[in-house]
Amino acid sequence: MEAAVIDAGSKLLKAGTAVPDQAPPIIIPTQMKRMLEDGSSTDGSLFEDVNVDPVVRGFIRDWDAMEDLLHYVLYTGLEWEEGNEGQILFTDPLCTPKSVREQLVQLMFETFNVTGFYASEQAVLSLYAVGRISGCTVDIGHGKIDIASVIEGAVQHIASRRFEIGGIDLTKLLAQELGKSNPLVNLNVSDVEIIKEKYSSCAEDELAYEKTQQSSEYEEHTLPDGQVIKVGRERYTVGEALFQPAILGLEAHGIVEQLVRSISTVSSENHRQLLENTVLCGSITSMPGFEDRFQKEASLCSSAIRPSLVKPPEYMPAELTQYSAWVGGAILAKVVFPQNQHVTKGDYDEAGPSVVHRKCF
Amino acid sequence: MSWQTYVDEHLMCDIDGQGQHLSAAAIVGHDGSVWAQSSSFPQFKPQEITDIMKDFEEPGHLAPTGLHLGGTKYMVIQGEAGAVIRGKKGSGGITIKKTGQALVFGIYEEPVTPGQCNMVVERLGDYLVDQGL
Repeated sequence: MEAAVIDAGSKLLKAGTAVPDQAPPIIIPTQMKRMLEDGSSTDGSLFEDVNVDPVVRGFIRDWDAMEDLLHYVLYTGLEWEEGNEGQILFTDPLCTPKSVREQLVQLMFETFNVTGFYASEQAVLSLYAVGRISGCTVDIGHGKIDIASVIEGAVQHIASRRFEIGGIDLTKLLAQELGKSNPLVNLNVSDVEIIKEKYSSCAEDELAYEKTQQSSEYEEHTLPDGQVIKVGRERYTVGEALFQPAILGLEAHGIVEQLVRSISTVSSENHRQLLENTVLCGSITSMPGFEDRFQKEASLCSSAIRPSLVKPPEYMPAELTQYSAWVGGAILAKVVFPQNQHVTKGDYDEAGPSVVHRKCF
Repeated sequence: MSWQTYVDEHLMCDIDGQGQHLSAAAIVGHDGSVWAQSSSFPQFKPQEITDIMKDFEEPGHLAPTGLHLGGTKYMVIQGEAGAVIRGKKGSGGITIKKTGQALVFGIYEEPVTPGQCNMVVERLGDYLVDQGL
């Protein structure tokens, strides 16, 4: 039986059996709605109140909700049978606390009775998806941004950084900006998300951004409830915030500069290998103009070696950035499970949850 | 049981019944004195032990320069702060577990996996910690 691969993000959960060069069969929102009658939850649609986010900023926080979500994904989505559970691979963000990993492995073996478990960091997996074992990843997710350096499949933690900002903060920024220029329109979070995904793009460089801020051209967008909203220069603000975090009110450097600085802590013989194999992950990186802007900022940055982006292999699906960690997980699952490098039920029974730190890295 | 027996039978043991074992192992005191070692364990320098002990105190100390043992350089990978240091060299590597008074070393080569080396070294290390050593 094929292993299952699950990438639980703050916004979307990607799941499927380990078939590497395809998109994950199940991509569902992680957010759940609490139903008060029987206490269980369903996945999917976003309502006004009682929304439960099992995954916050990349880490699993609400274990009961996560258990229900996984139950749905595994038994209904992937059609596992009770009593015949298989092997499972999870992806973790950078700096996952040990306790979160241990709790996950405990949940998997004790509640779901899986036969094998493996967990790997998303940065390593995204690199596997593009056919590399060394390089850096800039993973811009919904709840966090991870900038990681990986050498030969091992994350260099001192040269990696995690930022507690992500798509969700950019959505809030966009909502604020749209509120200022469209004061009479009533916006809610899901509408703004749609507008963000549809309209946002990245200016070519800082000067071009300044020009857009002064222009008054706009497009009209009709919200589901019939209201019409004007989206003009705000669309560039979202992309710009990644390169100029001051827009979000943060005193930090833009992502390219952060990348170069993180790498400077690694021994210099590896710098070239890391910077020349940079991978962008996350749907926001497929925003029009983002890659070009990244390349441009890269040529301006303060390092002798310029970051350059890796081109995904041709046999990979086009939307790879949205689920590169899942695809990498599928590739890894095909290697780890047959070679028995994973945590088996026997290992877990003998050593307890802490065995995950010994076998999975 | 003598320390040499610990090394010969518990560290250099057959892994998972597949006829594989670590390529070298040793139990060394915090001061660098060798309590027992396998025949192929490399000759190390006292400075290397000092650096390892320092990394247990301040995790991240060895990462920029790498972990050196007997002149071999290992790339430091994710360990457990203050308890385990793991290093990688090509397809092989090293695991060092710190106990109350000693350091347990395990060096592996392909086809032994890092996970298997960790299990062997850390299992013995945990046992020694329980015994107060």
